[in-house]
Amino acid sequence: MKRLLLFSALLAFGLAFAQGPARADIRIIVVSHGSAADPFWSVVKNGVDQAAADMGVSVEYLAPEIFDMPRMAHLIDAAIAARPHGLVVSIPDADALGRSIRAAVAEGIPVISMNSGSDVFQGLGVLRHVGQTEYEAGFGAGQRMAAAGVTIAICVNQEVGNVALDLRCQGFQDGLGEGASTSVLAVGTDPVEVRSAVMAALSANPDIDGVLALGPLGAEPTIAALEQIGRLGQVVFGTFDLSPLILETLVAGNMAFAIDQQQYLQGYLPIVFLTLYIQYGLLPGSEVILTGPGFVTPETAAQVIELAARGIR
Amino acid sequence: MTPLIEARRVSKYFGSVIALKDISFAVNPAEVHCLLGDNGAGKSTLIKIFSGVHKPSEGTLLVEGHEVVFNSPRDALDAGIATVHQHLSVQPLMSVTRNFFTGREPTKGWGLFSYFDLTFAEKTVREEMSKMGIDIRDPSQAVGTMSGGERQCVAIARAVYFGAKALILDEPTSALGVKQAGVVLRYIVQAKARGLGVVFITHNVHHAYPVADRFTLLKRGRSLGTFAKGEVPREAILSMMAGQEELEALEAELAESARHGAALAAASSRS
Amino acid sequence: MATRAKPITDERVRKVGIVNKLLSRPELGAVVGAILVFAFFSLVAGDRGFLSSRGIVSWLEVSAQLGILAVAVSLLMIGGQFDLSIGSMIAAAGMVIAISVVVYGWPMWAAILLAFAFAGLVGFINGYLVNRTGLPSFIVTLALLFVLRGATIGFTRLITGRTQVPGLHPQAEGDWLAFLFSGTLFGLPVSIYWWLALTILATWILLRTRFGNWIFATGGDPEAARNAGVPVQRVRIILFIGTAVAATIFATLQVLAAGSADVARGRLKEFEAIIATVIGGTLLTGGYGSAIGATFGALIFGMVQQGIFFTGVNTDWFQVFLGVMLLIAVLVNRYIRHRATVAK
Repeated sequence: MKRLLLFSALLAFGLAFAQGPARADIRIIVVSHGSAADPFWSVVKNGVDQAAADMGVSVEYLAPEIFDMPRMAHLIDAAIAARPHGLVVSIPDADALGRSIRAAVAEGIPVISMNSGSDVFQGLGVLRHVGQTEYEAGFGAGQRMAAAGVTIAICVNQEVGNVALDLRCQGFQDGLGEGASTSVLAVGTDPVEVRSAVMAALSANPDIDGVLALGPLGAEPTIAALEQIGRLGQVVFGTFDLSPLILETLVAGNMAFAIDQQQYLQGYLPIVFLTLYIQYGLLPGSEVILTGPGFVTPETAAQVIELAARGIR
Repeated sequence: MTPLIEARRVSKYFGSVIALKDISFAVNPAEVHCLLGDNGAGKSTLIKIFSGVHKPSEGTLLVEGHEVVFNSPRDALDAGIATVHQHLSVQPLMSVTRNFFTGREPTKGWGLFSYFDLTFAEKTVREEMSKMGIDIRDPSQAVGTMSGGERQCVAIARAVYFGAKALILDEPTSALGVKQAGVVLRYIVQAKARGLGVVFITHNVHHAYPVADRFTLLKRGRSLGTFAKGEVPREAILSMMAGQEELEALEAELAESARHGAALAAASSRS
Repeated sequence: MATRAKPITDERVRKVGIVNKLLSRPELGAVVGAILVFAFFSLVAGDRGFLSSRGIVSWLEVSAQLGILAVAVSLLMIGGQFDLSIGSMIAAAGMVIAISVVVYGWPMWAAILLAFAFAGLVGFINGYLVNRTGLPSFIVTLALLFVLRGATIGFTRLITGRTQVPGLHPQAEGDWLAFLFSGTLFGLPVSIYWWLALTILATWILLRTRFGNWIFATGGDPEAARNAGVPVQRVRIILFIGTAVAATIFATLQVLAAGSADVARGRLKEFEAIIATVIGGTLLTGGYGSAIGATFGALIFGMVQQGIFFTGVNTDWFQVFLGVMLLIAVLVNRYIRHRATVAK
């Protein structure tokens, strides 16, 4: 009898351990390269916070104030020292962050990446990646424009050399297909400069009928440029990411689509996956969980505006 | 005897300004030569020429009878001319020891590994200052904690220690009270007794008179002459220096305005 | 004035002297501050990672990187000058290394040596301009802050078409010089050893050499120093070269750790270095200060910047803490200096 009791107690004890810690005790740290003051990343953080509330776990969100890879590596090191149950990171620069991420994995901390790093995460020992892959998103955009009959297009790239952006233009080109010609318009990040460059390109070649921007930094000056030369609404115009001006332009019908990578999901899903992994060892089958491209069109723009005001898109 | 240092017919121009014109000035060993003059007389300029800060526009400098040219204060120092400036001699934030040896720090070791020999330096500072009658309790204390007179003495002791042959003191007592001025004056006498030639610049005759052997008067860049102590009474020097004529004219003018003012007041009170 | 009998006064003076000497040391405020900050974070966050071996390495590493800059800056500030171009120098030096290796195919050691030669040039320019123009170093180095940063961005865009140059990790493999600037030794990152070595070197130069005395004199009163025969202009140039070299050491460490150079790196580092130096007891007006103090100032900085995270307090409050700490440090240091230099 005593032995049976002891055995049952041990079994229950063992089972409890096999179940992992209770949700209330789980602590997850998110280290991203975008500070929550940035409008894009504040949506991610909202996703993180909501997931923490829904799952009943505690989550901290850390990021350097500006894009600063060495600082981010230090934050990851500090996160490892705090011994959380799980770690979520974005990987904009595998060279700079690789050592710290590998150290986390070596310490036995499960790591999921989000937003950037879809092509490097596996090599670092990261379990899964939640985000939008650039090439596929660009490809989707190219396909849409081809369906709209675009034959000559430009891809406005404000940071040539940024691998992610380059991949978007590359995908776009391939998506448009053989029948169309595309070129990359390389610009800087100064809005006035971008506007002038776009105006010049469009004036030099009036046959251009498709324009793709890679984000608000490129899209907003392009809107101004199109307006100024009176061709707003006459070219097939699409962009990556959302902003209030982009949504307005969509609602007015002057834009064909905006690609929403749905960054809310990039904040929300990793928390869910990690919690279930920490407790039960469950993990989705596919290595990359795509959160985009979500195409926002003039028809759906209104609803998106309302969600954007709530910090969800 | 050959003067220790001598300026022969020296002039200095700054653009169109004539700071000094045709000055001849010499100091002999074991002598205190006082350089007098009101503000703007050119005393500082002459001193800067001797200490290597300026080069004369005309004339020559001689040290022990040989003609010299100074390209920097370092050259003057190397020639044995030590200058103690009015305000800019010691560093209040540094210790006595470090101040004493600034620019001439004793070192031990070789090449890259040579270091400032602070032990030797501190010992030397204590000794030198006590020779001049000042007990430095702690040579590593900041000079800023010392009184004005003591600071001047540190500067002078430094000059004497480093083998100065000629000591040029630019207004050493001007910022000091009577008692502290006395400390410095006594020190000057001791330096003279050790054979140094001392140039003592001041516009205060009362400080100068007791210790000086000779006086030279500068007025607006020109020399009014050189006199030995016995030759001219103190009052005469004072009057030459302050410009007795100008003073009397000023007195008359002031008296005149006072009378005028009184007359105006009387007139307005009547009406 | 009679000479008092020596033996009795000497012995009494010696005892009081030691206590007074300690109290009047410029680094006292920073050492006490560091102890207090360490105690605070150990109490509040010790078990949350601050005292774990990983945690300690994380804040030591941040302190080390800043400390490398701070000790050089402290020497310069004691010598009476500011260098606001350090941050831009960090980006520039990093880019010199990266572009030489990645674009022009230079071996890593050659690129690193080139960066140091460049540092010598920049330091010389800073010093020469300050000497020649008589302008405050604040202005001269501020101008260089912009010139260097702009040139870095301009040349990098011109040569590579982008603002970041990656791909350095493979080139650093097996390179004899890169080896000195990367990796760990006995579990501690190499930056910590650089920090300690530079602190010792700077302190030795400042307190035990002739040149150190010249630094104090040049910063306290350059006229008096010049009159005493100190080569004030040469001292300044050497000090500016010192800060540029420190920035290059920082840049090399950072570039080899991150595997890339970025035109935006190093921003605001000049101010962090000045803060650490001032916390460490150096006067803004020059002539007084301590390299050890600057190192402790950097230590406080690192402990706070990483430590705040361990306490769970929102890291946004870090800057509030920094400002308050700076004020307290300066007030404490002013009191100490007052005690040390006022006439008794």
